[in-house]
Amino acid sequence: MDKEEILMEEKFEIDRLEILDCSKLEFYKDSGNFISLKYNGEDYFNVRLTRLVPFFSKTTYISVAYDNKENEFVELGVIKDMKELSEEQYKMIDEYLEYKYYMPEITKIYSIKDNNRGFIFVDIDTTSGRKTICIRDWYSNFRMLTEHLLYAVDVDGNKYCCNDIDTLDKKSLAILEIFV
Amino acid sequence: MNLLLKAPKGHELSEYLFSLPFNLYGKAKKVDGTLSVTRQNIIVYIDGEERDRYEFDDFEEYACEQLIGCSMMVGKIGDRSQKCLCAFTQDSFIAFAELCKIINHYLTTGVLVEESDIDEPKCPKCGLPLDSFTECPYCASKVKTFSKLFARLKPYKGAFAIAILCTVIAELLNVVSPMINQILIDDYVWPRNQSNWAGFAVLCLSMFVLIGINTLLDWANMKASFYVSLNLGQDLRQDVFSKTLDLSMSSISKKTAGDLINRVSNDANKLQSFLTDNGKNAVVRIFSLIIVAIIMFTMDWRLSLMAILPIPVVALIIKRAYNTIQMYYGRSWRFSNAHSKLLHDALDGIRVVKTCGTEELEIEKYTKASYNAAKASSKAEVVWYMIWPASDFLLTIGNYFVLYFGAMMILSKLPAFGSFTLGELSRFTSYVGMLYTPLRWLLQLPRQLADVSVSASKVFEILEENTDVRDTEDCVDLDIKGDIEFDNVYFGYKVYNPVLKDINIKLEQGKMYGIVGHSGAGKSTMINLILRLYDVTQGKITIDGVDIRKISQESLRSQVGVVLQETYLFEGTVLENITYAKPDATFEEVVQAAKIAHCHEFITKLPDGYNTRVGNKGHTLSGGERQRVAIARAILHNPKIIILDEATASLDTETERQIQEGLAELCRGRTTIAIAHRLSTLSNADSLIVLDKGRLVETGPHDKLMRHKGVYYELVMAQRKTTKMREANIDAKEDPKDGAPAMA
Repeated sequence: MDKEEILMEEKFEIDRLEILDCSKLEFYKDSGNFISLKYNGEDYFNVRLTRLVPFFSKTTYISVAYDNKENEFVELGVIKDMKELSEEQYKMIDEYLEYKYYMPEITKIYSIKDNNRGFIFVDIDTTSGRKTICIRDWYSNFRMLTEHLLYAVDVDGNKYCCNDIDTLDKKSLAILEIFV
Repeated sequence: MNLLLKAPKGHELSEYLFSLPFNLYGKAKKVDGTLSVTRQNIIVYIDGEERDRYEFDDFEEYACEQLIGCSMMVGKIGDRSQKCLCAFTQDSFIAFAELCKIINHYLTTGVLVEESDIDEPKCPKCGLPLDSFTECPYCASKVKTFSKLFARLKPYKGAFAIAILCTVIAELLNVVSPMINQILIDDYVWPRNQSNWAGFAVLCLSMFVLIGINTLLDWANMKASFYVSLNLGQDLRQDVFSKTLDLSMSSISKKTAGDLINRVSNDANKLQSFLTDNGKNAVVRIFSLIIVAIIMFTMDWRLSLMAILPIPVVALIIKRAYNTIQMYYGRSWRFSNAHSKLLHDALDGIRVVKTCGTEELEIEKYTKASYNAAKASSKAEVVWYMIWPASDFLLTIGNYFVLYFGAMMILSKLPAFGSFTLGELSRFTSYVGMLYTPLRWLLQLPRQLADVSVSASKVFEILEENTDVRDTEDCVDLDIKGDIEFDNVYFGYKVYNPVLKDINIKLEQGKMYGIVGHSGAGKSTMINLILRLYDVTQGKITIDGVDIRKISQESLRSQVGVVLQETYLFEGTVLENITYAKPDATFEEVVQAAKIAHCHEFITKLPDGYNTRVGNKGHTLSGGERQRVAIARAILHNPKIIILDEATASLDTETERQIQEGLAELCRGRTTIAIAHRLSTLSNADSLIVLDKGRLVETGPHDKLMRHKGVYYELVMAQRKTTKMREANIDAKEDPKDGAPAMA
């Protein structure tokens, strides 16, 4: 292989979406309960797992990356579908991602009050219990991402969603209708 | 900030120094947890049971890490080992971050601070975030705010009094009109009185006189009101602007430019119109309400009660109705806005739409947005026409009772109510009408008051803010030579997140220093501290042996020249921009500075020479030209210390070479501190300061650091590798193997 070919190879190494072979991945929890990885004979400490399309799929296209010695982001590749992982590995990754993307789902809307100064107070039931959330700049932070997916970010940065607003009861929908 | 919020079950708060609740643990499941800190330990409780116990020094550093949906407190040992102590939703982030800062402070100094010194991020009363406010603008005492606002009228009290007086007299005259009407009806219309034309003429004349006087009063009122309004607005805007420029960078950076512009213009304008319009109206409307009510009750108290009694109930209904109308109009506005944005987007990106062949898709999206906007607007209109006539009817419902019972009294069918003439009834109903006008206004008033009080709080917060970087009483004007020393300097933009840690270094007069390090290592922060845009959190910086906090800011900054990557040129001419830092410079000095900065040549070629307007942010000049104008500005400033923050980073190699010559002239004999990502541009520096994660890890000239093979060596090697790869990519694109043209 001449120099040019090596360089071309390097170029494509960078540009290509590297789909990881799940059978070669061995995730494990280190002493601090953070996820590390053994892959191709190398140990990667505290790998960074990211849902590339978090709103549309929770278990497909998961980026696996780490920070190198220079603190630079290096992506090892992408898990195309977590189903290809063993049951135990799937569980470990899923638990971590559920933690990282902790986002209670809205199951009912009791009321929405607008204080007419850019804030709304939304009284909701979520998968983590009932709560009144305060949303600032609500045109941006309380909106439909698709026809069905409602997404809310409160003043503290906590995120909430409703994957399909059609599953909400009629009263919730009537309240929601005025605001989205 | 209170960090002693909740004790674990079965324990008392008094057992701990700090105790914070957390709500996530294990598999992101909700728990009732507490992280409590004693003088010796950090203890994690779940449901009142002790789960983990740590000594402070089990870890080297504590940090709060923000994930996507939650955050966690971690203990770290070196770069490669860390443990999650607990996790929580984002509302607890600031409190845990502050706790980490306190424990880290203990680990470095051995002093365990028992109270947090940062402000509460939320209003304890309403729970809304305080953002940059010291007091919640929604909960601040309205009386206090409005009294401060009205105090601003003091210089214009004469004109304001005239405006009020004119309006009050006009209102009183309005009360007279129905009286004349009554006499006209009772004495001349019913029964017909054709014998006394003189009396009729006098009444008509008095009506004309009333109209004339009212017009004159209106004119005087407008003149006085405009005088007060314009002057007051100017005062407010001027004061807010001057104070804004006087604030420290840390205060300013807490607010966005948009927010500050809003405070200077919109909020100040809102106060201006409120004071001169509503402020005056408040006096007049309430006065008119009282006068009209007294006259009505004097005429007939029973009919007056009929007119007034339904009002409180109706007002409540109407308030709700107004809110509903407003919500529907808000929704209509949002849909219409979304429709406009889509239109704007598609037309702005028409080339992309055409090249991708997505016209059908865009038309479909537009049709949908347009349909939604029309539907929302139609719904809002339907709601309006359903609610508004009904609510106005309800508000004035008392009038119908008055008409019914008044007519019965005229016909003497209600002997218990007494009798009424037609003229009296006409007069009475005029007063009822006059009663509803201030009432409609009063219904809107609470909303306006709330709105204005928020604007007032925002404006007064700036006017009353004490800037945290300020000159001390014993500060001096120093003739700077150029020796700079960092002595045990710690600094963080956010108190819980130090950016610079334990920096100790001496910079000698007349030498050039380069600051290098990864992004976020603290390079620009060091420069900000030398300029005293911020004050150090711990330690001190001295210039020629004098603590910079003891040097007057004007004296310091007038002797430091700065050239930044993104040069900011003000709207104006080239000449105005060069002389910005030294307005009294002679033209010869300006040309000399321009020649040294290698910009005289291109300025000469501009159509209007030094009088050429540079346009908004200097857009008529190229990046290199703007940079050279900035260098000329710095040269003319004749600084003792030069700061170059990525001064040539955005330029091509040729322009950079030309500018380097200008910079070399500028830096000769002056203490120079430069930051550059292209490490090659710093290889001539007398010494390099290498920062890593906020700590000073290496210093020395390029050759020495390369031999040392430490952090600097790795940075240089990494950069060389990247450059080679980039070059290889460019070569590969320019010369593909198969001879076919490469895709861009």
